Amino acid sequence: MVYDGIILGLIVGLFRGGLKNGLVQFGQIKLKGGLIFPILLLIQFLIFRFQGDASWLAPASGYFFMSIYVIGMAFLWMNRQNKGFMIILIGVFFNFLVMAVNGGRMPVSLDAAQVLGPYYTELLTSGDAVYKHYMLDASTRLSFLGDIIPLSNPYPRTQVISIGDVVMNLGIFLYIQSIMVPKKDTEDQDLATSLHTSN
Amino acid sequence: MAKIFMKIKELDISHWYIAFLCLTGIITFIWTNGFSFINYSSEEWVKLYVMLGAALILNSLTFRLPPEGNVISFDSSIYLACMFIYGSQFTLAVLLLCSLSYFVYKRNVPWWKKLTNFSLYSIMITLSFQVFLAFNGTLGPVNGHNLASYILALTSYFGINTIGLFIYYYLLYRTDLANTLKGFVKDTILVYLCMLILSLVLCVLIVNNGTLGLILFLSLGIMLSHAFRLLFSMYHQILNRSNIDQRTALYNHSFFESSLDYHIIEAKVNDRALSLAMIDIDDFKKYNDSFGHLKGDLLISFLGSMLKEETKDTSIVASRYGGEEFTLLMPGYDYEKARHFVDKLRKKLNDTPFDGVEVFPHKCLSFSAGIAQYSIDLYDKSQLVDHADKALYYAKKQGKNTVHTYGCDLIMEDELDLSHEVNYIEQQLNLFMYKDIDTFKHSKRVYKYALDMSNILSLDKEEKREFVLGALIHDIGKLEIPWGVLNKEGKLTPEEWETIKQHVTWGKKIALTDPRFRDLIPYIELHHERFDGKGYPHGLKGKEIPKLCRMLTVLDSFDAMTTERPYQKTKTLQEGIIELRACAGTQFDPELVEIFIAYILARSPKNELTLQEETAPYMV
Repeated sequence: MVYDGIILGLIVGLFRGGLKNGLVQFGQIKLKGGLIFPILLLIQFLIFRFQGDASWLAPASGYFFMSIYVIGMAFLWMNRQNKGFMIILIGVFFNFLVMAVNGGRMPVSLDAAQVLGPYYTELLTSGDAVYKHYMLDASTRLSFLGDIIPLSNPYPRTQVISIGDVVMNLGIFLYIQSIMVPKKDTEDQDLATSLHTSN
Repeated sequence: MAKIFMKIKELDISHWYIAFLCLTGIITFIWTNGFSFINYSSEEWVKLYVMLGAALILNSLTFRLPPEGNVISFDSSIYLACMFIYGSQFTLAVLLLCSLSYFVYKRNVPWWKKLTNFSLYSIMITLSFQVFLAFNGTLGPVNGHNLASYILALTSYFGINTIGLFIYYYLLYRTDLANTLKGFVKDTILVYLCMLILSLVLCVLIVNNGTLGLILFLSLGIMLSHAFRLLFSMYHQILNRSNIDQRTALYNHSFFESSLDYHIIEAKVNDRALSLAMIDIDDFKKYNDSFGHLKGDLLISFLGSMLKEETKDTSIVASRYGGEEFTLLMPGYDYEKARHFVDKLRKKLNDTPFDGVEVFPHKCLSFSAGIAQYSIDLYDKSQLVDHADKALYYAKKQGKNTVHTYGCDLIMEDELDLSHEVNYIEQQLNLFMYKDIDTFKHSKRVYKYALDMSNILSLDKEEKREFVLGALIHDIGKLEIPWGVLNKEGKLTPEEWETIKQHVTWGKKIALTDPRFRDLIPYIELHHERFDGKGYPHGLKGKEIPKLCRMLTVLDSFDAMTTERPYQKTKTLQEGIIELRACAGTQFDPELVEIFIAYILARSPKNELTLQEETAPYMV
């Protein structure tokens, strides 16, 4: 789900901002602590890769993910003056919150997971091999922040997402728009002040 | 505690109304909704999210409708549809989340506005749902038999909205009750009907097609909002064409006039500061003459774009007043702040390079500006413009490239005014240049004596003006004396003396033709009256002659004695003083003579007085 906002933002941005300007602007992004993100991504991959190999890693992975979230949120906070970053932060926080109160794993609604097909629902009910997720049940706290939104046709990708994902992607989308779309004059606002004498 | 009490006392009735509204709204919300959504199942939460998303999207797509400038969005249709399908409890949950999102997202809107909005919506949703139920409305798919309950629920929804907002605006502005309400309803009824139909369409779409229906609806809503936006901007383009000056892209004169009206009323009602600055490019004519009108126009549009740029994020309305004159209407600026702003602008312009600035005396672009502040006692808007215009004139007189604030330096303004009038009279006196150069010089000398004397006598502003100008113009009647008599060398015949004496009456007649000279007439007419009553034309005596006219007689005679005249021998300053003393009490007022002699003695030290005898008979 993380990439949807980026891809959508890029597509819409290219339409609104033009190919050249959009890409030029994109090349000039400056973020504080810009290296943090790729490093976090790398660590995540490493955990995924070696989760099965080391026996101590599997139970601890939940805490690893939580700390990655915290670092990620700190990074977002540092760059909060960028448009959309606060929204991304809120979205990430929603996900972080629901995972934190549920033992470091994301609850997934079984009903919603139907869209993913029987293979995934079986995995979910059996409770193994889906490291970051577990099945949502009556004991789940803040279940409304969990993965409960099923996405399928007409949406091009079939998946189950949480409200945090939606908010986060909205933020990413807005951020990319703010970079790629050339700044317009605030003509509209100027006009508003002139209204009083129009009649 | 006392502080809080004081604050409460200061509250306006509209504040109380807002507080009441918020309280009612929150109570209604808790009573109806009771935060039951916390216990919703995942599926219900998804529904809630979907509706929330739709409401947020529509809410962010606000548009205005010409010509009133109401900001409208279609989000109410979502609430109505929710109400008709799921009931008021669910709708209130959507409303709550939507308000919370806005609370976080739109931090620049004051919190009480958001709370008021939320409360009003809570009341609207709850009450209209009760109406809906009371008229046998059923939840779920749109039912043809329920049409009456839909319409009634909607009517109450918008009825409450209109009344709630209307009362607030009424309490705030206290305008005519019936007419305002009429206007309110008239403006919004079409939009409300749109909402009803849209909400029913949404009901049908959601019930039959679920999320896809909602997406279709959203697409429709987005496009409609966009279309309305385009409509509005088109309307504005047309409107602005009549309000914008083509060359500078600033507002034009007619727009300036109407916004001046508006801002004066605004300033009066809200007791807010308002300043008007008038800006005029210095030596523009010189530039135009040197480089032609095309270049001159470039200079005007250059300054125009600069003014536009500098006033972009302020409340200032910049307009082209005409020619090379611009106005800045500055609501919320007192004259200090306005002066600071304009002065900054002036310095910036000075530092801006421009083609051909070498023709200007300052070798840079510059303007003069006059600032006037609106005050409640101003009779009408033209007075404010007059004041600014006058201030601009003073700024120009001070050597250009300055900003002058009207009424801040009264002494200087008076002096400038006086010098303006002196200039005018000097132009009239220039006629003497060819007819009688002596009278011309004499008038100027007497004028200078008068200037000094008015300081010694510490005259007030108006007296000084009259005295000085009177001294300058007192012999204007001599223009009528025939050339031969005026320049005759040797003794005058008695008839010729009579002709000479006539100059006071002729002078009066000349002065009567110009209203600016009216109050100078006494000086023209009476400067040959004598203290003992033997003067002409009326033979007034002692205090019957105005004091300053008596003074003028002294100055006039002293100058006549001490300078060369065709029909009289020249006296030295000392001889003049002796003569003055001799005639004190007969020809002159003795008190005034002494004051004048003291002045002459103080002005010319002893040795100079004696020196005088050998060199020139006269010095100024």
